[in-house]
Amino acid sequence: MMKKILFLIIMLLVSVSTHAAAKATELEGSFKLGPAIILICVLVTFVMVGIIFRAKDTSDYYAAGRSISRVGSGMAIASNWMSAASFLGMAALMFGTGYHGLAYVVGWTGGYVLLLILMAGQIRKYGKYTAPDFIGDRFYSKGLRIFGAILAILISIAYCVAQFGGIGIMFKWIMGIDYVYALLIGGGVVLAYTLISGMLGVTKNMQIQYVIIIVSFLIPLFILLFKYDYFWLLPPIGYGSVVSDIVSGISIADSAELFNSYGHHFSIVASPEFAMPWAISSGGTFFQWMAIVFALMIGTAGLPHVIQRFYVVPNSKDARWSVVWGLFFICILYWTAPVYAAFGKILAAHPEVGSLAKDAIVVYTAQLGNIHPLIVGLLAAGAVSAAFSTVSGLLVTGASAFSHDLYVKVINPEATAKKQLMIARLGTILMAIIVAFIAMLELALIAELVALTFSLAGCTIFPLFLLGIWWSGSNKQGAIAGLIAGVLVSVVSISYFIFGKSGIVLPYHQFVEYWLGAWYFAWIGAPLAILVNIIVSKLTKPTPIEIRKFLVEQVHL
Amino acid sequence: MENTNNDYHVSFFKPVTTRARRNRNMVIKLIIVWAVAIFGFQITLKLLGKPTPEPALTEFNAVWTDVKDGNASEAQLKVFANSVLQCLGKIYIEPDMKTALSNAFNYSLFQIAGDELDELCHNVEAFNELKSSSDNIADLTYIQSRKKLEADVADILGISTTDVKIIAVPFSINADMKDEFTAENQALTEKAMNLYMTHNRSFLTDFNFLGFPFHYFYSAVFLLFLFVGLCWIYCVETDKIEKQEQMA
Repeated sequence: MMKKILFLIIMLLVSVSTHAAAKATELEGSFKLGPAIILICVLVTFVMVGIIFRAKDTSDYYAAGRSISRVGSGMAIASNWMSAASFLGMAALMFGTGYHGLAYVVGWTGGYVLLLILMAGQIRKYGKYTAPDFIGDRFYSKGLRIFGAILAILISIAYCVAQFGGIGIMFKWIMGIDYVYALLIGGGVVLAYTLISGMLGVTKNMQIQYVIIIVSFLIPLFILLFKYDYFWLLPPIGYGSVVSDIVSGISIADSAELFNSYGHHFSIVASPEFAMPWAISSGGTFFQWMAIVFALMIGTAGLPHVIQRFYVVPNSKDARWSVVWGLFFICILYWTAPVYAAFGKILAAHPEVGSLAKDAIVVYTAQLGNIHPLIVGLLAAGAVSAAFSTVSGLLVTGASAFSHDLYVKVINPEATAKKQLMIARLGTILMAIIVAFIAMLELALIAELVALTFSLAGCTIFPLFLLGIWWSGSNKQGAIAGLIAGVLVSVVSISYFIFGKSGIVLPYHQFVEYWLGAWYFAWIGAPLAILVNIIVSKLTKPTPIEIRKFLVEQVHL
Repeated sequence: MENTNNDYHVSFFKPVTTRARRNRNMVIKLIIVWAVAIFGFQITLKLLGKPTPEPALTEFNAVWTDVKDGNASEAQLKVFANSVLQCLGKIYIEPDMKTALSNAFNYSLFQIAGDELDELCHNVEAFNELKSSSDNIADLTYIQSRKKLEADVADILGISTTDVKIIAVPFSINADMKDEFTAENQALTEKAMNLYMTHNRSFLTDFNFLGFPFHYFYSAVFLLFLFVGLCWIYCVETDKIEKQEQMA
């Protein structure tokens, strides 16, 4: 069956390639047939895989029956992780802010070291389905479970909004339709297959998505490097000379035979600000660089949908190795994302190219580099896959928090398995509607929501997991106090950010905006939450013996 | 984890079993390597970095006082226009600073145009007309007009038409700005030049490694390798500890 589908896809692509060529070289505007067909084929494949590997019961829905291999789980971790923010946003950040953007590359990968050595194996040993499950159990508090579930839902929604935005941008680019319609179509498809499949289907989909993401991302890079006469066999190394050329400049004489799709020479005025650290003109300071790295790292180790991936592997050893594989697969994309930024910088250097939407710079770079339209189409399909894989994981996480942690554990403990599954699916639909509605508003906040989500997770969930696993002295009272501290810092930072965007200036605006920036407030919020948790735990009743016994005998055995 | 004092206590810093102790020691070592590699390097980069001007900024500073006071010679104005054009050629400049830089460029360029002033004004007008009427940048007449303008200005500035900064000319030139260089734009020009043409550099940024500026290679490539390596070491070591524990 799969062979027939593949054959059909290839035939369709061949038949449209000639017609597509002219249309897809336009940067904006019209309907692009080749990329559209590639995208449709990819989406059909996702839905079919979802149907074939659909969830049969709640265990399948939440945790894929715990039957996923290390490499498979690593691919799923990578696919789940590599969102529109990684695929599109990373290059956009470096294109706009140069070295400052590398803070996101370092932060989003370095966090996995913390996640592995401090949490992965122990989380799997704890044996719960969801992050709120762990919080409620470890701190023996229904209230904390509810709060954890609400946090997981909020984080999932905030993260999803940015992904829906990415889906909307790519559907708009490919189909030449209005952003709202593009968003509705893309959102409808991702919702459909998440509902049909649950996490088992999603996990299988994630493995396929990973392959599509990475292949679509790498092919244009090999071509760009080859075409513009750089060492192309290993893009993560080959683009070093591109960076150095941007710093020193490329004269028109040096690029006599090399042009972009507009016919401009492959040349650029010396632009050291692209690579030099903390260039004043990029707007990022040394402190912000360090704070972003730290906040993103602990945020990585606190995101519910990332933590939840460790529940789907058979044992703690597999959980550990799946992180190594996952990080390696993630790094393949992160090593190469700056290549798009570097080429984009040169190919868009001529003033005639005009101002480009940074979020779509990956696709624009491929177009400006005169890459074949079908390959650009595949790249766009890869971007959609990246957003889809993350959204599906987030919807499952949010739905799990809604049905498992709120409905079953709090509202109706007697619920049958069938009822649980139904509630999970209702939760998924509800979340998708909320996310689509917020994404439709095209708020200025949407792009920043991803980084903000990391800080929120870093201030709230990370301290609970860290202390919950590694210190049996951390008790309910300490957890509540720490959580309050983390939430307070988050609320202050987010409030100043939202008011600032609305033009309302609160007291000490500049001070708070700089030291508690919305995308890195966890640099202080997380240590504060940990400190408060420790102090209050020391001053109050110790953790019950059965919890400590469980930690000793099950988690750290 | 064996429970020696029967109080079932878990603490990362006070492990009670050999295995927990080995795990703690390994985690601490890995975290130290991780933290030093990330933050230690960036701190070093910050400490060693010195604000270094681009050559064009040095040239700008050499003539700036005379230009500002209206005492600049033709040669000085040429240097001034060239240095400002170098900044205008950068991809992104704040709009208000771009206007100020354009003012600086046009003011100096038209002063040194001499006999070619009328022809230059005519060419600018012709190009602007074509730019506003043509919706196709591949239009041959448009391209020829743009190239002509670039060649004229290159001639006046004494630079080659293959000098890449010349591409900014058709989009910066404006005859309306030729007569006055306002005090406000003077201040903004000075600010923009210093802002966009000063960079933190040290031997870590100037040393080339595998084609990269070394610090860029370190952050964008090496650190990621290190993260994967640290994770791999942790897994291998933990497997080893678990195996030894089982055998014991």
